[in-house]
Amino acid sequence: MKILLVEDNERVSQFVVKGLQEAGHTTDHAVNGRDGMFLGASEPYDVIIMDRMLPGDIDGLAIIEVLRKAGKTTPILILSALSEVDDRIRGLRSGGDDYLTKPFAFGELLARLDALHRRSHGINREIPLSVGDLHMDPMSRKVTRGDRPISLQPREFKLLEYLMRHADQVVTRTMLLENVWDYHFDPQTNVVDVHISKLRQKIDAEFERPLLRTVRNAGYMVTAGG
Amino acid sequence: MMRSSALSLAVAYVALGIVSLVLFAAPLWYAWQVTIQDGRSEILQSDAQRLTDVYRRDGGVALKNFIDARVNMQIAGDRILLFTDSTLKPLSGNLRIWPSNVPAATGNYRINIDFGDRARQDTLVHVAHLGDYYLLVGRDNKLFAPLERRFWYGLTAAIAVLSIAGLMVGLITRRALMSRVYSIGRTVTAIIHGDLKHRLPTNLSDDELDTLARTINGMLEQIEQLVHGVRNVSNSIAHDLRTPLAELRSRLEELALMRPPPDATFSEIDGAVADVDRVIRIFDALLRLAQIDAGLRRSGFVTLDLAELAATAVEFYAPAAELRNIRLTLHAQAPLQVSGDPVLIAQALSNLIDNALKFAPENGLIEVTIRRRSDGLAEIAVTDNGPGILDSEKAKVVERFYRGDASRGTPGVGLGLSLAQAVAKLHGSALELSNRDPGLRAVIAVACIDPAVSSGVAPSNGRAAAFE
Repeated sequence: MKILLVEDNERVSQFVVKGLQEAGHTTDHAVNGRDGMFLGASEPYDVIIMDRMLPGDIDGLAIIEVLRKAGKTTPILILSALSEVDDRIRGLRSGGDDYLTKPFAFGELLARLDALHRRSHGINREIPLSVGDLHMDPMSRKVTRGDRPISLQPREFKLLEYLMRHADQVVTRTMLLENVWDYHFDPQTNVVDVHISKLRQKIDAEFERPLLRTVRNAGYMVTAGG
Repeated sequence: MMRSSALSLAVAYVALGIVSLVLFAAPLWYAWQVTIQDGRSEILQSDAQRLTDVYRRDGGVALKNFIDARVNMQIAGDRILLFTDSTLKPLSGNLRIWPSNVPAATGNYRINIDFGDRARQDTLVHVAHLGDYYLLVGRDNKLFAPLERRFWYGLTAAIAVLSIAGLMVGLITRRALMSRVYSIGRTVTAIIHGDLKHRLPTNLSDDELDTLARTINGMLEQIEQLVHGVRNVSNSIAHDLRTPLAELRSRLEELALMRPPPDATFSEIDGAVADVDRVIRIFDALLRLAQIDAGLRRSGFVTLDLAELAATAVEFYAPAAELRNIRLTLHAQAPLQVSGDPVLIAQALSNLIDNALKFAPENGLIEVTIRRRSDGLAEIAVTDNGPGILDSEKAKVVERFYRGDASRGTPGVGLGLSLAQAVAKLHGSALELSNRDPGLRAVIAVACIDPAVSSGVAPSNGRAAAFE
């Protein structure tokens, strides 16, 4: 992926640029709003990471609004130290696609960038999904592994659908909470893990190759490879 | 003198009083003067007529005798009588000479006469030319002077009383007002200097100042609570973030000192990251609590279905409950529309279920009940059959960072019930905890929105009115 990072904090920028490089992405870095707006408007990026509070007279949300008005549809992830739900809503309303609060785990950032990038290629809600021999038809809500039908509760279906739409990508617990349950807070116990292990019981237990994997210190991934 | 609204008002009223007194007195005075004048002329006229009649009937000598008799018998009274021959030489009467400033011609004259012994002046006289004689009849105008004096004295006294009383009342009011204003000022100064406990003095008079003082006291109450809340949070942050930060610091320092092999180093780093995450989690929870306490999150209020929200939460926790063979059930009258912040209610309910899960025994029972109470509020109740809590602990469990003995060794930072409490408060109720023997029942109430009576009391306004 080609990524633009608009962030004024040197430490955070270094950390993100290095991490993204390691994950195989090219990153351009703008340290102020003007450069960020110029680069974002002129270069084709797959994803833009925008710090919300920038030095100078242009703030992140204003840049996003300008880019959107100029017809740029590049997915944008907002980085912000403002953590309240209202701030988040304001961020998304200005044209951002996702919102991540500082401080963040790099795994979380990477997973969200992947998800954004994939989403920008369009999600067709009707096309059946498959990972290895696991198949899901979102229209008829049927799930099969090999030739065996798997029966899922509605929420389990939603959970698996989200994981399969992001197959081969790490999906964090927060992403699952937000997208499957619409919970924008942190439940104190690891209830998500229990849901995952229950889902794993249904799709992996009686098969040789597990598809739903736990990625240490990051989250989960549905993959047929490796 | 200081500018004072009470005093200027009093002065204005006094001036108004004087003006109306004068407006009242002036026509009266005028009417009085006119009436008196007319009356006098008439009396003079009739006096003169009577004397003229005597002359016409009996002649000049008879009139002279008549007047002499009158003067001698003292029945002339205050009248001035003078009867002269054609050369104006007095023949009879109580005047010794013809007044030099009275012409010898028939008519009415208003003149000053020097009577010599009697200092009479302003006098109205009637002169009649009767053949070879002249007759002068007069009456002293000063007869009514005492009455007029009394009128003037009365008016002056009224004005004086009005002015003095007005100014006195003004001064007294000003003093009373100033003393209250000064006492309010002293209180406010004390508050400015940081002592928020002060309240404005109020009495039972219910007057304007008192009403204002009560309103301001209400505002001070709210400000004190907010400041107290902020102070609490900063104390908590200072106190409770220190512990994990200290742990983190010692972990890192030890790592730097000991330089363990890579494997151990990496696991220590993972541990350090987990410590940081814990700090962030506490920090977020505290910030959210502070925001809820400050009432800033009112903006997030929408109409939501409590039953649906509870169903999601119960379903979310179901696998975790199942894992410990706890039966987690939902009793809801679906749908139940309420006005509230969905994120916060979900979080509060999730905290309550989480809490119940921690304390319910293996094979236990947790019931989530959503119902509409008879008082019109929607109730979210989470009941477990765990050990419950001691009455002495009830107040403590909602305190920030409080962790009961029973929760030792369970995950969590001790903010769950505090948050549930704050959310309940934001929605106009309080977190009620009661023992079920065995078990704990935790209840939060939220204002309902009844579609059937939505045209009546507007629910959103009703909420604000009912709870603030």
